[in-house]
Amino acid sequence: MIADLVQNTLDGLAQGSSYALLAVGFTLIFGVLRRVNLSYGPAIMAGCYAATWTHLQFGAGLILLALIAIGGAVLAGAYVERLCFAPHRNTGIGTSLGSPIAAMVASFALWMQFEEAATLLLPSHLYAFPPLYSGGPLGFGPFFLRVEALVTLAAAIAICLLLAWILWRTRFGLAVRAVIESPRAAELSGINVPWVFVRVFALASAIGGVAGYLVVASHEQITPMLGMWSTLKGMLAMMIGGLGSLPGAVLGGLVLGLIEAHSQWYLGPQARDLIAYLLLFVLLALRPAGLWPVRSQS
Amino acid sequence: MSTPLLEVSDLVTSYGKIEALKGVSLAIEQGKITCLLGPNGAGKTTLMFSTAGILKPKSGSIRLAGEEIAGRAPHAIVEKGIALVPENRLVFPHMSVLENLEAGAYQRSDPDVIGSDIEKLFARFPRLKERSAQEAGTLSGGEQQMLSVARALMSRPKLLLMDEPSLGLAPLVVEEIFRIITELHRDGTTIFLVEQNAHMALKVAHHFYLMEQGKVTFSGDPGSLAEDEVIRRAYLGTVKA
Repeated sequence: MIADLVQNTLDGLAQGSSYALLAVGFTLIFGVLRRVNLSYGPAIMAGCYAATWTHLQFGAGLILLALIAIGGAVLAGAYVERLCFAPHRNTGIGTSLGSPIAAMVASFALWMQFEEAATLLLPSHLYAFPPLYSGGPLGFGPFFLRVEALVTLAAAIAICLLLAWILWRTRFGLAVRAVIESPRAAELSGINVPWVFVRVFALASAIGGVAGYLVVASHEQITPMLGMWSTLKGMLAMMIGGLGSLPGAVLGGLVLGLIEAHSQWYLGPQARDLIAYLLLFVLLALRPAGLWPVRSQS
Repeated sequence: MSTPLLEVSDLVTSYGKIEALKGVSLAIEQGKITCLLGPNGAGKTTLMFSTAGILKPKSGSIRLAGEEIAGRAPHAIVEKGIALVPENRLVFPHMSVLENLEAGAYQRSDPDVIGSDIEKLFARFPRLKERSAQEAGTLSGGEQQMLSVARALMSRPKLLLMDEPSLGLAPLVVEEIFRIITELHRDGTTIFLVEQNAHMALKVAHHFYLMEQGKVTFSGDPGSLAEDEVIRRAYLGTVKA
């Protein structure tokens, strides 16, 4: 009993660390631009397909595949930013109240574009992706952990530390925090706000690309569902943690992973997503701001 | 007379179809305090926002030391040497006082001089020094106003725009704000001030403009019009007989 509980907790944390990465990227875009990017996952998917293609064509090594997945996600993210978010910014007086919705709907349109392209244009629905490690799981006493899970966990910790360093120790990070707090005050302080948006978008897409690569390498396959899956997990984890809160995104991702792992074990695989969404509803009803909310702006 | 530091001519700015500025022309002389008075809705803040690049003017020109800057992005205008202390202060509430000042120096690439500038500002605003590690949102209204002015000065502006710096502050704090305005002027800063407090503004200004309904209706030196007449016009507009 206790052993199951511990094993499920380990599995949940491992899965949750990939959710945490997805949520950190999603939250960065939401926190800085104040816009929901539904095309976040599909852009990650585009990068992962680019890596899959490179693998099939040239059989490239793991590091190169990871770099291609990240670079592809950043390029696809730039495409999304130009089309959906550059025209609907939250700076200036003239921006209408409709612009957050216009941006979100535009990003939904691009999501469909990516998904339809993957579904209709690719000859096959499912492609194999090379695993990170072909040996079996590592044993720790009575417990087991896959190497992929350890790598994902390590990557999540490293990326969160790196992001914290960027945000609190660099000049660019100062600009990002300033824009999060007040885009108007930031531009009056001489910060080029649209350029901060572009760079944050690239950074968030790169983090998403890392998450996407680790997910497809763990599952050893890729399908056109990856886009929707990544957006949903990222958004869900952000909602659990708290809108726009980066520590909340990490916490929300881990909590989501744990809930999924435990409900799958005790209630069966069919119950897994059901329980996750049910708990989200309960949480949003009781604590609408999430578990680790951003402090109020006033 | 030499070229004014800032020269606005025939400036038109609109919100959609509504013209808030209907051809404004005025000049700000180097080293002077120029004050803009007028009733609510006259277009004073619109003029400030147009000058700072937040609003794009529809037509007309804004020249800083002869160079056209109308329609440029806000950060580019800060780089050219204009800093705006906005209405309602707008500090970064969850950043420390020190970080607020660092953000104000964002465009500068001289970290050593930035450090000594912060020290100089701390000497001028001792309260900010005491609270340098504190989150800006926890400061009082007056302290936030000081921080907003200090942050604007961190860009080393040629021209400081101030939009209603005394708004919502207690009388003693207002006195202090105006004392700082005179001090900044003494140190060579050119100031363009929008104020509702006409009495205080006329005491420090070298020149003033009256605005009504998107147009400049009067310009002169304090004393060229009786103060009660200025105040009547600034608050009520011209009474149409």
